[in-house]
Amino acid sequence: MIQKSLRIASLLLACAPVVQGADEARRTVLWGEVATEVDPAPDASSDLWVTTADLTRATGFALKPQGVCREELCVPIPKARKAEFLSGRSKVARFNLSAFARLLEQPVAFDATVRVWYFGPRPDQQGAVLASLQAPDFTLPDVEGKKHSLADFRGKKVLLVTWASW
Amino acid sequence: MKDAGPWVTAAHPSYTVLVDETHLVTRLYGMVNVPTAVWIDERGRIVRPSEVAFVDDRFKRFHGMDAAPYLAAIRNWISEGERSAFVLGEAELRDRLAPRNPDHVLADAEFALGEYLYKTGHGPAAIPHFKEAQRLNPESWNYKRQAWALSDAKRDYGTSFDEEVAKLNGKPYYAPRQLRPERQDDQKNR
Repeated sequence: MIQKSLRIASLLLACAPVVQGADEARRTVLWGEVATEVDPAPDASSDLWVTTADLTRATGFALKPQGVCREELCVPIPKARKAEFLSGRSKVARFNLSAFARLLEQPVAFDATVRVWYFGPRPDQQGAVLASLQAPDFTLPDVEGKKHSLADFRGKKVLLVTWASW
Repeated sequence: MKDAGPWVTAAHPSYTVLVDETHLVTRLYGMVNVPTAVWIDERGRIVRPSEVAFVDDRFKRFHGMDAAPYLAAIRNWISEGERSAFVLGEAELRDRLAPRNPDHVLADAEFALGEYLYKTGHGPAAIPHFKEAQRLNPESWNYKRQAWALSDAKRDYGTSFDEEVAKLNGKPYYAPRQLRPERQDDQKNR
């Protein structure tokens, strides 16, 4: 029997439930699949300027003397382009997250009406599978809401099958 | 969840069934249709990347593929492990996992944004992003069918599943599956 020696993780691509009552004034950052509300910027730029506190809250990156850093990764900001990334015009210093994503070559999608920015994986993250051939880990709920990670199945063969309810 | 949940519960599956409301796995594994499967070994390494994965013949009239050879390949992998003829070598894996088209990466971002907008009560705002994802990655039936399922496809997208399939004009609905490795002297994934 297949099931005796093989764990099959079957995925359903399901329609998401609708939640009403969003606040039009808010700004939302989707980074690493996590949504974070951030302080609205004082101007109407399509670039997303966030406070340094929101930068860290939404992305895990922090401004340091050597650059914009998260864990082992530190991205220097070119001196000649400092004004493109940092603004001190208002009382609170702000950082241009959109410009940073362009520097890191992240894919970005933006909705001007609802003011939501989605930031996708950097090229090195996209290429990680090709480099390592390691299956990207993920955590998702079952139908009762209990979460499971692909890594939980380490030590067993996994047939990862996707289906949909269309 | 509301559509599939009762079926999953009633079936009492012996395997784990997860619900992916945001198409995260589609993005992580570059999937474009269902059913798609990936084979992952005991060390968490991919031994066969995304490919069409029918395990019975109920839709054979539509796609023309026999399930039996695929099931036989799975059983062979279970009994033979990395010695299985169906486990791909590193070079062929890298060929099949080729770097992603930048347009498709951007399509993933647009689709993920659309999913978030829909989930937070902004269904109409999601539609232009779903359309952009479909334009950037026209091969993704996941991005077409999921978007159409969330609204009136004819009204909002000017099309339907049947019309889009008819446009294929004989081209296969699924990318052809190559069960046997093409590279004979390839190092296995170890």
